[in-house]
Amino acid sequence: MTRFLAQTEAAARPAPDRRRGLRQILAEDFFYAPGATVWTLVLVVLLGLAAWTLFDWAVLNAVFGPTGTLDASQACRAEGAEGACWAVIGDKVRLILFGLYPFDLQWRPGLACLLMIALYALSVQKALWRPALGVIWALVLAAVLVLMRGGVAGLAPVGDDQWGGLPVTLILSTFGLGLAFPVAIALALARQQRRFPMLQAASVGLIEFARAVPLVVVLFMASVMMPLFLPESWQVSKLLRVLIAFTLFGAAYLAEVIRGGLQAIPSGQYEAASALSLTYAQTMRDVILPQALRIVIPGIVNVFIGFFKATAIVVVVGIFDLMTAAKRAVADPLWQGFGIEVYLFAGLIYFVFCFSLSRFSARLERDLARDRS
Amino acid sequence: MTQPDTPLLSIRGLNKWFGAYHALRDVDLQVARGERIVVCGPSGSGKSTLIRCINRIEGFEEGSITLDGLGTAAKGRAATREVEEIRRQVGMVFQHFNLFPHMSVLENCILAPMRSLRESRATAEGRARELLARVRIADQADKYPGQLSGGQQQRVAIARALCMRPRLMLFDEPTSALDPEMVQEVLDTMVTLAEDGMTMICVTHEMGFARQVADRVVFMDQGQILEVAPPGEFFDHPRHDRSREFLGRILAH
Repeated sequence: MTRFLAQTEAAARPAPDRRRGLRQILAEDFFYAPGATVWTLVLVVLLGLAAWTLFDWAVLNAVFGPTGTLDASQACRAEGAEGACWAVIGDKVRLILFGLYPFDLQWRPGLACLLMIALYALSVQKALWRPALGVIWALVLAAVLVLMRGGVAGLAPVGDDQWGGLPVTLILSTFGLGLAFPVAIALALARQQRRFPMLQAASVGLIEFARAVPLVVVLFMASVMMPLFLPESWQVSKLLRVLIAFTLFGAAYLAEVIRGGLQAIPSGQYEAASALSLTYAQTMRDVILPQALRIVIPGIVNVFIGFFKATAIVVVVGIFDLMTAAKRAVADPLWQGFGIEVYLFAGLIYFVFCFSLSRFSARLERDLARDRS
Repeated sequence: MTQPDTPLLSIRGLNKWFGAYHALRDVDLQVARGERIVVCGPSGSGKSTLIRCINRIEGFEEGSITLDGLGTAAKGRAATREVEEIRRQVGMVFQHFNLFPHMSVLENCILAPMRSLRESRATAEGRARELLARVRIADQADKYPGQLSGGQQQRVAIARALCMRPRLMLFDEPTSALDPEMVQEVLDTMVTLAEDGMTMICVTHEMGFARQVADRVVFMDQGQILEVAPPGEFFDHPRHDRSREFLGRILAH
């Protein structure tokens, strides 16, 4: 073997410029071969046609006005009106958003919705993840309840059988998941520990029950069967019963996600905490859970999104959520046949919430990956 | 009660099983105040298990381990409290550091004093900074463990254990997971600690360290203590056949 000895020191140079211009991107990714060129052109034509058709229906030929229910309905049914009838949204927007809540008091559910949206916006700021956030949640949820129910501070009382639309959807998901989260942590810890076998068995039983039975079945049981078995004085409103069913389901699913995070923590972390004489509660609160929850944030967000959408299922037991409100809006004889527009509108609202959550989750994963350096 | 003539740590008739495997067999060992013990032996000989039993990270079936009289209660609340007290008085440094990755260096050091000793943040922080300076890492206090080298992390782990003001320090192969160029900085820290009079039990393969600081070397094989001797005698004139065999193997290269 010949001997090598470096004669010079290799100085560090700046990395080459890896950015590409539009022309380069097109040439390298879209028109790099005859076959690619053909497919690019075919897809551009197809997408263009689809976009044009949609634009033609939703904008060019659409009926937006006039105001006045009867006029608008007639305009939509007029000869040659082949586009979307957005007038139905204008006419029914209050019903879709707030259901049968007393018309003059609808500023209250409106404000409640804004409060809950602001709460989400706060909660997704990583810098604000500290115990005080729990207090803020409790305060906002209490304020939402006061606004919706009334009966205090000079607000006229409104029974929850009159609530409807977007606030019910938001309340079911926010209260449901807000309550489910601490329950889920308790369930996951109870399932993981070995010291109290009965507690563990109870946790496993509850989790496996919720995972094995369809949500719809539990909702029917909560709304139809429970009143038959419970004494009169124990009766609670249907909305509350459905909310409890949601909470238990959400907690069971979240518990399994959180348990996955707990299992990902190396045993050395438990040993170090024990060696430092931390108690079980201190170990969990300060050492294990902060790490475990961080690992499973994508899974938690996934459950949140799933449950936000799953609230639409309460339509089958007659809770007046956003989906039920949309159905009710097109039941009006004046507007029969314009379901597509109404459902598109409701779908858009669901989309905005779920897509925001999904984006938030993606951003968070990026941030946390960077933190771990 | 602190009586200078009784041993600080007393292990008597210790037996432990992992399932059917007999991991520790009739182990007896007394450690005096200020004494430095190095435990060595082939892998799987029970060295780590032995020191993990001392602070009850591992349980055991037979025998007793007492720290200045603590550790006699068998079961229930009294036993739980005794274990907590023992852990407060015994610091431990692990092979893989086991720092808490989501906390800064400083937070790692003050967590247990604040939670377990109920110290104020200011008190805990003051001593943490002092000890971080002593392991020559004061400038890294606000960094996270992931940003430090292995040697730095292990020195933080030592400082973290010292923050509890332990009377006894356990080291479980503290340099085995380190890159070779970082071993010395950790050993230097341990030597300083020994010179300051800390009672220490170190499981280690660093024979240079053993010669330099150990009062006694304990040789273990197959869960049993086979030889206990001052380092000079142990390394130069091992008595037990398996000690000789072991030293032959590790000193051969």
